[in-house]
Amino acid sequence: MDDWGHAPDLEDVAGEVAIVGIGETAYTKASGRTAREIGAEAAERAIADAGLEPRDIDGLTWSGAFADFDAAAFHEHFGTSHDLWTSPWGGGMAWAGTAPHLAALAIREGRARHVLNVFPVAWATQRASMTGGPGEVHAAQAAKQNLEVPFGWFPQPVYFATIMRRHMIEFGTTPEQFGAVAVAARRHANLNPDAVMHGRPMTIDDYLASPVLADPLRLLDSCLISDGGAAYVTTGIDRARDLPRPPAVVAGVGEGYSGTGTNWAQQRAFTSTPQVFSAPRAFSMAGIAPADVDVLTVYDPFTVVSLMQIEDMGFCPKGEAGAFVEGATLHHDGGVLPFNTHGGLLSHAYVLGIAHVVECVKQIRGTAAAQVPGCEVAVYGGYTGHMASTLVLVKDR
Amino acid sequence: MAIRRADFPLPDLDEPLTAPFFAAAARRELRIPRCDRCAAFVWYPQPACPRCGDVPGWVTVSGRGALFSWAVVRRAFLPAFEAMVPFVSGLVAIDEDPSVRVVSYVVDAEPGSLYAGMPVVADFRPLAFPTVPGREVVVPVFRPLDAPTGAGGGPR
Repeated sequence: MDDWGHAPDLEDVAGEVAIVGIGETAYTKASGRTAREIGAEAAERAIADAGLEPRDIDGLTWSGAFADFDAAAFHEHFGTSHDLWTSPWGGGMAWAGTAPHLAALAIREGRARHVLNVFPVAWATQRASMTGGPGEVHAAQAAKQNLEVPFGWFPQPVYFATIMRRHMIEFGTTPEQFGAVAVAARRHANLNPDAVMHGRPMTIDDYLASPVLADPLRLLDSCLISDGGAAYVTTGIDRARDLPRPPAVVAGVGEGYSGTGTNWAQQRAFTSTPQVFSAPRAFSMAGIAPADVDVLTVYDPFTVVSLMQIEDMGFCPKGEAGAFVEGATLHHDGGVLPFNTHGGLLSHAYVLGIAHVVECVKQIRGTAAAQVPGCEVAVYGGYTGHMASTLVLVKDR
Repeated sequence: MAIRRADFPLPDLDEPLTAPFFAAAARRELRIPRCDRCAAFVWYPQPACPRCGDVPGWVTVSGRGALFSWAVVRRAFLPAFEAMVPFVSGLVAIDEDPSVRVVSYVVDAEPGSLYAGMPVVADFRPLAFPTVPGREVVVPVFRPLDAPTGAGGGPR
């Protein structure tokens, strides 16, 4: 059953690098700003937070899939022209978790010393003008455009409603259990003034009463659409110890791929994510077990994706996440598995995972809005449909 | 990246990868690509068999399958679907190879009567959207195996 995807062998970089600077823009509904402007602001703040100058940044990882903040954008914004080592395999989504691995190799090989990873998105603004959004990329693919869209199996809420139903069929997962994920995320967002849904409390009854978009999927199972961005700076561990912020040390990185790509309809393990392949590699590199994790942030476009990743990363047996997440399990204050403590894509902002990594750094620093006491190990689970990533950050010892 | 094709979201009958699927549906047949050398279905269609590289042919299957999962779509995510909601869109595992899941409408059944593994059979109905006036394409849909053939209307 485990041959439906694979994990590439990543070089062991445990302990070699650390995240030393983080920067965030405001997280909002439609702002009227471009992603490039948002990216520049996030970059500026991350560099300043690291105690560095723009000219100190000699490596840049960005999202080739979105192409909003590349080397040209960097130089244009900062008025610089120095050589930059770059890779388009960074940015957000699953790549928000693997960019530190790219940085570690570039730093090891002497290609760069301070590597900036940036990811901005302006989908709230773009959606208002119907020029972009999560569905479009999918509708452009021939098989999906002709064999799914005409049959109403589009876009993401319909895909994940179908996956949710299958999870319910196979494992008996209930609406209240999906709702527990949404309620926990909102609880954390209400402790975080930066969250889009701050000041909007939600109960399980609110969840159950929310409109059904595609039965069994409700509005409140679904992520927001937002404008915003974040960035972080990675550097070698020795250099990190000279900089002002406490280093968030990169202890493990993993990557996993589904053999059927983003054709979810055809994925043999229909109720699984490629975390099955990614998480064990990252935990092994870091020398930790799931029980050692103090805080988990996962890419959570829909509640079922959180449940699946919690299972696939080994925090509970497959099929048991529904029962696992009930009660206070996911709460930052005393839960067994403090989860998406910034509010996640559901209630913080839909900035495609970059804020999840920033939240992990804050938890390691001890500066998160919903801080987990004594947090020493923070993990990001990235998900991009065809791909999952796992990033283990630890406190410097 | 935006879809400019005027008949979207009807299928693009000029797309070579999927045209045989709709040509078959017009003849009331469900056809799926299969590699002759590997005797394995290649679904979704690909220009070459991922195992051996041969060009897959298309074979007619029985149209029978089991309902794998489904969503009852209540919110129209595209203007084309506004007049159609609510509708059931599901995945059907075909009897010849359950790893092949065909996506289509599940018709002639109350949503509450559906269950996992429910035997279904392909039927062929014209699909039309009010946003694409004057065009229709015959597509495979699925109805319960034990239900009488419907009145021959659209996917609703």
